[in-house]
Amino acid sequence: MTAQMIENILQALAAGLLAGAIYGLMCVGLGLIFGVMRVINFAHGDFMMLGMYAAWFLFGALGIQAVAGSLIGPYIAILLAGPLLFLFGYVVHKALISRVTGTRTAQLDGEGHYAQLILTLGIALVLQNGGMIVFGSELHSIRTPLSSSAWELGPVWGDFISIFVNKSRGIAALFSIATIVVLALMIARSRLGKSLRAAADNPEAATYMGIDVDQAHRIAFALGVGITAIAGGLLATNYPFQPYIGLEYVIVMYAGVVLGGMGSIVGAFWGGMTIGLVQQLSTLILPTQLQNAAIFVVFLLIVFLRPQGFFGRVVERT
Amino acid sequence: MTTRRSLIRNWAALPALAALGLAFPAAAQNPTEVKVGLLVPLSGLYARPGQVMKMGAEMAIEHINAQGGIKALGGAKLKLVLLDSGDTVEKAKNAAQRMVAQETDLVAASGAYLSSFTLAATEVTERASLPLLTLSYSDLITDRGFKYVFQTSATAASQAEQCLPEVMKVAEKATGIRPKTVAIITDNTGASVASVKPMRERLLKEHGLTLVVDETFTPPLSDATPLVQKVRATRPDLLFFLPTVISDGKLILEKMNEFGLGQARIPTISFGIAIAEPEILRTMGADMLQGVMTCVGSWGSKGHEPLIAELKTKYGEPWMTQNGISTYADMWVVAAALEKAGKADKEAVAQALRTLDLGPSKYYPGGLIKFDEKGRRVNAGLTIVQWQNGVPNTVFPPDLAVSQAVWSKK
Repeated sequence: MTAQMIENILQALAAGLLAGAIYGLMCVGLGLIFGVMRVINFAHGDFMMLGMYAAWFLFGALGIQAVAGSLIGPYIAILLAGPLLFLFGYVVHKALISRVTGTRTAQLDGEGHYAQLILTLGIALVLQNGGMIVFGSELHSIRTPLSSSAWELGPVWGDFISIFVNKSRGIAALFSIATIVVLALMIARSRLGKSLRAAADNPEAATYMGIDVDQAHRIAFALGVGITAIAGGLLATNYPFQPYIGLEYVIVMYAGVVLGGMGSIVGAFWGGMTIGLVQQLSTLILPTQLQNAAIFVVFLLIVFLRPQGFFGRVVERT
Repeated sequence: MTTRRSLIRNWAALPALAALGLAFPAAAQNPTEVKVGLLVPLSGLYARPGQVMKMGAEMAIEHINAQGGIKALGGAKLKLVLLDSGDTVEKAKNAAQRMVAQETDLVAASGAYLSSFTLAATEVTERASLPLLTLSYSDLITDRGFKYVFQTSATAASQAEQCLPEVMKVAEKATGIRPKTVAIITDNTGASVASVKPMRERLLKEHGLTLVVDETFTPPLSDATPLVQKVRATRPDLLFFLPTVISDGKLILEKMNEFGLGQARIPTISFGIAIAEPEILRTMGADMLQGVMTCVGSWGSKGHEPLIAELKTKYGEPWMTQNGISTYADMWVVAAALEKAGKADKEAVAQALRTLDLGPSKYYPGGLIKFDEKGRRVNAGLTIVQWQNGVPNTVFPPDLAVSQAVWSKK
């Protein structure tokens, strides 16, 4: 194997890990909503789009860039966009989603699911076209010099094998891992986390134990939206966006959640990571135009060999 | 032929006379307005180019109507009918079907931005005998023996043929040596594929170029690392980069910069408009675009200053891309065809377009306002545009150029 080949592999691996970390965070947001509420949220990509615009507005129009500069500013804006979209998600759940989900509709089974699908699809359409009216069709991105510069690791072998780690993607990967650690700790350790887990495991029993299941669902939904908004903001530092960008990512999010195992939050992260790695590493052996096809080949293989996903539970929940 | 709807409208305006059973052939033949379709993406990934095409069409129609409308039709005004071709070939085809089914009184249309969309939409307009003018590049559009499609841009193969010698000249002048190796990174949309095909097959060989990287991707890219890594590994003398989606332009150029290949260290030549859209400057720094060239079907250049100024004041567009100027010109061509046809009928307009001969073109680069038997504009030229200090300036052909092409020596 030549040094050039080793460099190509390591470079693709690095790109895959960096892309995978952001995909992972997006998937965690969606996985949290599905895991706790069993709602298939087709509008998730569009909530991410709103997160991107929120971060962009906070950074530019609302003056964070002027105060904090182009290096730190984007990340302050992104961290503020998270809570903003949390509130938005909370309101959307209260006003709309709660009418077709939760304990009230748990008995409806099939009917409940149809209403959820149609409602979230409807929200997706409203957000996309509303976004078009409000924000226009122009492309935007959160401009930072970090997006076109890299940390060069190496050369590790004579003059050969240098790995470039894009600074904005590198920082985004660190942010997503930190966000997931905080979320995992919150779910495992805090009282709120306990109520979310209880509402997910057995909504009826949780209600008997005095847990407000609807409120738990609302928080799970808002958290999922907020987390994906952060992922969107991180993506926006090196990827230009327009109101229809959600469509590009919602499929990736779903594939990631299913790969990781429906309902598993850690699994959703690894599902997203797998997609990033497959997408980038596949270019080493396959034509680049097949990189997204490669994702779905791997996806189908995993669904075939391990239908419950990496971290999914085999047994049906009670 | 007068359509049923326009007849009804004319009679409705003259109820008393109609009641008397009087015939008014002049009124029936001269409708008060003539509808022209604009089938462009107004939603989805390509909404922005569609919006700019709409601006060009609106400006032209305003100018035509202000100058007295279609004189051969008693001063009838042109009216634009917008149809959204969306962001997929399927949606474009559906929009074309909607257009011919619902807007039966259209006399002509312009569209549909991407060659892939135009190829699908023309399958529908051809069967409906609706003449469609297009700025799309793919040779296939006018290679299928269709009679109702009129291609105003030079075809992709012709553009590659015209562009390559110029680019080689500039490269040689800038670096002192003739380029020997070349990389191609292209997306797989119709126009890009059609531009690259003659290069791969013969043009590169004819210019003594060896192809060292040949990569095709599906837009939009999520990350450009694997592609640019291949360029980095081979260090070609030239890079041909053909994106259609602006985000792909940004990802590749930024990645080139990140890998130390950007800012004309490897001279980069594009085809098409994506790389010179105002949006790309909104999403990345002007320094990273410096020196990047693109061969494009038409561009707001020398001689179009009043038009560019109007676009700027009216819509806030910093310069006039092909989407704006070409669609502007399309409306004037439709108006001229209507004048020649003398009636608001799509069949007559199509026939007028086939036989139109208005001499040298003012808004499209080079050639004539005349279509050959395939529907291609006769001797259609192209423009080469280069990013210079944050502005894409026309550098070729000399009669349209506003500055000289340069590449920094690094």
